[in-house]
Amino acid sequence: METTKKKFNWRGLGVSLLVLYIVFLIGPIASLDVPAIAAAIKANPIQLIQFLIIGISNGAIIAIIALGYTMVYGIIELINFAHGDVYMIGVFTSLTVLSVTGTLDSKDPVRITLGLILALVVAVVVGAVLNASIERLAYRRLRNAPRLAPLISAIGMSFIIENLGLMWAAQAWLVPSFGTTGGASQKVFPDMLSVMFNSLGQDVNLLASSGLPLRFTIKDLLVIILAVSLMIGLYLFVQRTTLGKAMRATAQNRDAAKMLGIDIDRVITATFLIGGGLAGAAGLMAGLYNNTAWWFMGFRAGLQAFTAAVLGGIGNITGAMLGGFLIGLLASFSDGYLSTRWTNAWVFTVLVLILLFRPTGLLGEQTGQKA
Amino acid sequence: MKYIRSGITFGLIGGGLTLLFGGWSVAVIGSLMGVGLGLALGGGFERKDPLKIAVTVLPSALVAAVILVALSFYQNNVVQEAIGKRPFAANLALNANLIGFFGSVLFAAFVAAIHGLPQNQERAIKIALLATLVVLFPFIDKLTALRWTAQIIFALIFVILGLGLNIVVGYAGLLDLGYAAFFAIGAYTTGILSSPQHGVFLNFWLVIWIAAAMAAVWGLMLGAPTLPLRGDYLAIVTLGFGEIVPVLFKNLTDVTIREPLTCWILPGLMNLFGAQTTMSCITLVEHEDLTAGDKGISPIGRPSLPVISPNEAMGLALVVKVIVLVLIVGLIGYYLFRAISNKQYKRVVGLAAGLLAVVAFFIPLPHPEKGFMATLMAVIQPGEFKSNDPTTWYFLIIAIILLSIFVIQRLRDSRLGRAWMAIREDELAAAQMGIDPVRTKLAAFAMGATFSGFAGAFYAAYIAGIFPSVFDFSTSIIILCVVILGGIGNINGVIVGGLAIMTADRLFLPALKDFLSSLLTHTILPSISDPVVQLAVKDNANPILYRFLLFGLTLVIMMAVRPEGLIPNAQVRAEMHGEEVAAEKAKA
Repeated sequence: METTKKKFNWRGLGVSLLVLYIVFLIGPIASLDVPAIAAAIKANPIQLIQFLIIGISNGAIIAIIALGYTMVYGIIELINFAHGDVYMIGVFTSLTVLSVTGTLDSKDPVRITLGLILALVVAVVVGAVLNASIERLAYRRLRNAPRLAPLISAIGMSFIIENLGLMWAAQAWLVPSFGTTGGASQKVFPDMLSVMFNSLGQDVNLLASSGLPLRFTIKDLLVIILAVSLMIGLYLFVQRTTLGKAMRATAQNRDAAKMLGIDIDRVITATFLIGGGLAGAAGLMAGLYNNTAWWFMGFRAGLQAFTAAVLGGIGNITGAMLGGFLIGLLASFSDGYLSTRWTNAWVFTVLVLILLFRPTGLLGEQTGQKA
Repeated sequence: MKYIRSGITFGLIGGGLTLLFGGWSVAVIGSLMGVGLGLALGGGFERKDPLKIAVTVLPSALVAAVILVALSFYQNNVVQEAIGKRPFAANLALNANLIGFFGSVLFAAFVAAIHGLPQNQERAIKIALLATLVVLFPFIDKLTALRWTAQIIFALIFVILGLGLNIVVGYAGLLDLGYAAFFAIGAYTTGILSSPQHGVFLNFWLVIWIAAAMAAVWGLMLGAPTLPLRGDYLAIVTLGFGEIVPVLFKNLTDVTIREPLTCWILPGLMNLFGAQTTMSCITLVEHEDLTAGDKGISPIGRPSLPVISPNEAMGLALVVKVIVLVLIVGLIGYYLFRAISNKQYKRVVGLAAGLLAVVAFFIPLPHPEKGFMATLMAVIQPGEFKSNDPTTWYFLIIAIILLSIFVIQRLRDSRLGRAWMAIREDELAAAQMGIDPVRTKLAAFAMGATFSGFAGAFYAAYIAGIFPSVFDFSTSIIILCVVILGGIGNINGVIVGGLAIMTADRLFLPALKDFLSSLLTHTILPSISDPVVQLAVKDNANPILYRFLLFGLTLVIMMAVRPEGLIPNAQVRAEMHGEEVAAEKAKA
């Protein structure tokens, strides 16, 4: 074997230095002030771990929404724009269930637990049915239309559901805590978990005894446990069950799957049901974790989740989970070290960069020019 | 008898609108309804004997007019009282209804009869009719005190935006979900360059070109990274840009740019080796508030024109002046254009000199003399566009639209335009035929952005204040709605779509809201005893709350029922219904 001496890549070095220079030059406009960030990390290294914890908890919710995007894209190659809004409806559904059952005013842990379980079930069912009916109404007849048609229809559906959320948030007779400020303002989602675990209604810090200035609360723990168990369940479902196998077959080649006797419509409906159910569950979790309900939250969360799905490799379930956690971390570090108001811009920048340099994502396989 | 049915339909639509607006609207709606009915019926006739067509259409037009006037009288005598308003005085109402009645009948018969003329004459008369309507509209609006012009101007802004987006989506087939970003760039360029907030105060006629150029440059910059992407991914990345740009404008309130080499890198290295640093840091910009964040930029300079005299009331004099100027400039411009395309350069020089002379004549002298010149100067002294009078703004935006249509038509038929459509149909095949996809796509992004730059500059000057929340995702989607409802790739379609969507949004919904709320307060609400239910009914009976729902429904229904739009482009139609057209051919 001959050993070829690798030439040093001067051009690459030059380009990298130039990019670095530009980042240093104009980064501070968008709060990317490298020396200031370095100083902040040096001054308080423990904070890094704190942002890590926040990022993972938020990432868990994003990951669950991303699963819905990635499953639908894997099967019918459509960005289900309305998916983020199904999540938003999940938040409002669970808040309404909690309010109607009187759980919001209760201090009794048993009652709260029962109320939360009921809210979870209703949110999952509503999300699943809503998502499947969106498919039935807006996408099914466009399955063989030019690619732009279902995408535009999906955007339309997203608008319709956002408007439903806006109307919902105005119904103070249904949920008194919405108040009389109209539907456009952000609403409070009461912190039920803290009430459940602590009679004072304060969040329980699990790391309090360690003496470190860190917070890892019961809420964080619950969100992560629920998210991870949902993901494992979904993974097993897709890998082990017959319906899961049919889904994978449909994703690989719809026509061939049809020839093998798979009922494509049923598989697609099942996919939308599962995705919607997950979005509903994520809605309850996000409401309990972030304590807000807002008609527009689905749009932003949906875009973050879509970015996560693309980052992990769209169509890939493990990738969506990984991407969700990564985007959660990115958002939390951006919130912490840059500025909250720039976070969305940075998430999008990451999306653009991924699509440009690695359109198949981290775990995606080369699928040819599908997009 | 089939014509009677159209008559009833049109009469009910027109009458329903008069129920909402009331007052003089019956005259305007009646005339417009007549034109619509004439267009709808006339197309079905053979091209001979206009008089016979007019007579055939007459019964249907009469039916429509009777329904309209009946509903209008019902509105004035019953509904006005029901919603707690004073009815219109009887003699005025009679006049309005008479105009509405005869206007609708005559217009319907006339417009239908035009269809019996030879094709070129039909076209010429239609254009003349349209031009008369467009020119007279603001004055009729003022006479009838309807105050629609200000809202129509918004519709026309969205028409320009739709025309620009149509280049990107319709011609080049690139789905752009962040088009409002370029609108924002145009508006903010205008805001920054002509607002006392920054101490820079350039003339609007200069700024509008800078804004368009700026938007075009940003179109290139944001278009370049998306070139390798297709379909859904392209849509998502453009959406991303559409989200980033308003965030940028919202947050550019404290801009500091320091040169990194002198500020951090060299001092850092020297520190590393233990040397003391006394190097001065080069600061390019420090704590500059560029966009004022959520507070927005306001006020913004207005355009001024010699034809608008500052000390004279607006009215007929203005029209005369505008028409004279437009005629002269248009005539010279036409011959200039012909001379350029025929390469008669001597004539070009002469005509250009003539054009300059005309323009120079309208530029005011610093010290007008007394006497004849003084009178002349008083007439042609530049007056500023007024915020309380939309008429001048209306004519300005009409002029911008005409210019845009002209340019876009030429572009569409040019080599570049055909390259766009080739790329839209099949990028690989087009590349094989020698079309450079990179340059073609970039040109589409840049040209599309240019028109939104114009729209942005006009919008900023018209509103005299810009705020980042105006340019969010929903604006991009409304522009997309305009293009899709009207017909992808069709200029007429986009104009109809823009007018339909924006008049529905800005005129119809608010009127419906007022109507419903006053109807409810006078009928149902007092009878509800439970205050919670009463409040809930009152709050939810607000059609403006359902705006996004209506936009969303428009998109979903159009995609399901008529994806090619109301007035389709033949090619797009064939594409959207590929299988059906092929099946029809196979049958035949």
